[in-house]
Amino acid sequence: MTKLSAFACAVVSCAAVSGAALAQTPAANLMPDGSHDMYVGLGVASTPRYEGGADRKRQVLPVFQFQWSNGIFVSGLSAGIHMARTPQVEFGPLVEVQPRRDDGGNGDDVGGIEDAGSSIQAVPDLFAAKLAAAFPENRLAGMVEIHTRLQAGGFLNLYLSPQWRLTSRTLYGAGNERHGARLDLGVQRLATHIGAQHRVTLAAGVTLVNRSHNAAFFGVSEEESMNSGNAIYAPAGGLKDVHLRARWNWTLAPAWVLTTHAQASRLQGDARRSPLVARPTNLAVSTAVAWRF
Amino acid sequence: MPLARHLTTCCALSLYASCAGAQVRAGEWVSYRDAYRAMVVFEKYGGPKTYLQSQLQVAPQDRTTAFDTLQLTLAGKTNGVNLPLDPLGRTAFPLLKAAYDENVALVLSRKIGAFTVRPRISIALQADGVYEDAELRTACEQALGFARYGDGSLRNRQCGGVRFVFPKRAGEAGVRLQRADGSDVALAVAGGIAFQGDMDGNFPTVLYRFKGAERGQLITANPPLAIVPLFE
Repeated sequence: MTKLSAFACAVVSCAAVSGAALAQTPAANLMPDGSHDMYVGLGVASTPRYEGGADRKRQVLPVFQFQWSNGIFVSGLSAGIHMARTPQVEFGPLVEVQPRRDDGGNGDDVGGIEDAGSSIQAVPDLFAAKLAAAFPENRLAGMVEIHTRLQAGGFLNLYLSPQWRLTSRTLYGAGNERHGARLDLGVQRLATHIGAQHRVTLAAGVTLVNRSHNAAFFGVSEEESMNSGNAIYAPAGGLKDVHLRARWNWTLAPAWVLTTHAQASRLQGDARRSPLVARPTNLAVSTAVAWRF
Repeated sequence: MPLARHLTTCCALSLYASCAGAQVRAGEWVSYRDAYRAMVVFEKYGGPKTYLQSQLQVAPQDRTTAFDTLQLTLAGKTNGVNLPLDPLGRTAFPLLKAAYDENVALVLSRKIGAFTVRPRISIALQADGVYEDAELRTACEQALGFARYGDGSLRNRQCGGVRFVFPKRAGEAGVRLQRADGSDVALAVAGGIAFQGDMDGNFPTVLYRFKGAERGQLITANPPLAIVPLFE
């Protein structure tokens, strides 16, 4: 039970950093039959408390990426299988954990307030007042918690050259109703060598979502409006965000890597116009030391 | 943020300390796993490759580096393999599961500063030094086929010829072209690089371009270091 709790904490902690930011499909890994390539590490991250939130949080960040010779991989909160057998294309099934979003984030103080969540319906005004004291600008106060969900879908990447690849992945199952769907499209410049031990990967992309996805994360129902004070909002689907990413891997030794990641994203369309969004442009940064084995 | 900064600093310092005590200096090694990933592509390639050879090339940042007597070594706990480099910095790369699983470092027998490694495809040498034009064309097509397998942007390239690369020792460079009509000409020797992206441009090279239906035989007096296919 203790091990399970520790694993759950690690997953939740990692998830809270931003699943979308960290869970990129790793490139296919050619290795001997029966071998693996694994990274496990720990670092720190600074991210918005939620997509569109104005305040930030800093926390310890576990990182992990496992790849096996049979094509199965686990990278952050996503897992999948590389099915392609040629270098110019990658495709396969993919599952990813959509992290929980509560009304106060994941800090201890907020957890205490969240425990009172069962009485939200009974004493909404009192609950909102407590949250307001903890986060004066918390627009999630009074909003219904979005539970952790396992999304399923697939990925397809096409290499224009060994350095450039077009990426895409689609996932379904987010939100409390499990009907949220998203499509991530992007272009990556892979592993530019800067010196012998430094590699920089750059990416740009867009995220498209269906109405259910936007409604789950950026909509405000009548009930939520009454509890939170946010205006009722029913967003449609469409373009959710555009983003830029950079990853810098510094190989300190064959078994040690310092990995640093930054993502700038800007909400678009109905997501940007949500009353929950205080800051449409968000920056997430993290750095971690990983052991390769 | 002070906590985050403190954690990062602690991690970094701890790593530097452990690296400083190791035999391998930062920047003077490469990961066997990364080299393996690059080299196994040729092994897994299912297309025609009978005329080709794949080797690992050391690419130092210092362009004045000489590869004489230099060896690449697998510095593993259970794997100790020395791989002599040729004057172009190349060596045959052993695909060893044990070395991959151990995640060993590849180090050089002499300090040359930071370096990287990359796969190099060339045309296999003939023991008698005689190369039929048709064979060179086929070899070049095989090399282009493999290059396209890994890089779709090369689909519009065509085989233009081959480049013979010779040692820098005086008098070793030379290729004669014997045509079907009996004529015999010596091809021009010029200084140049062996492979695209190489830094040393002072190797004696002989360029042979494929010309339409012209057929002939190329004869080398001394074995070249490499025969490099040219894509245009």
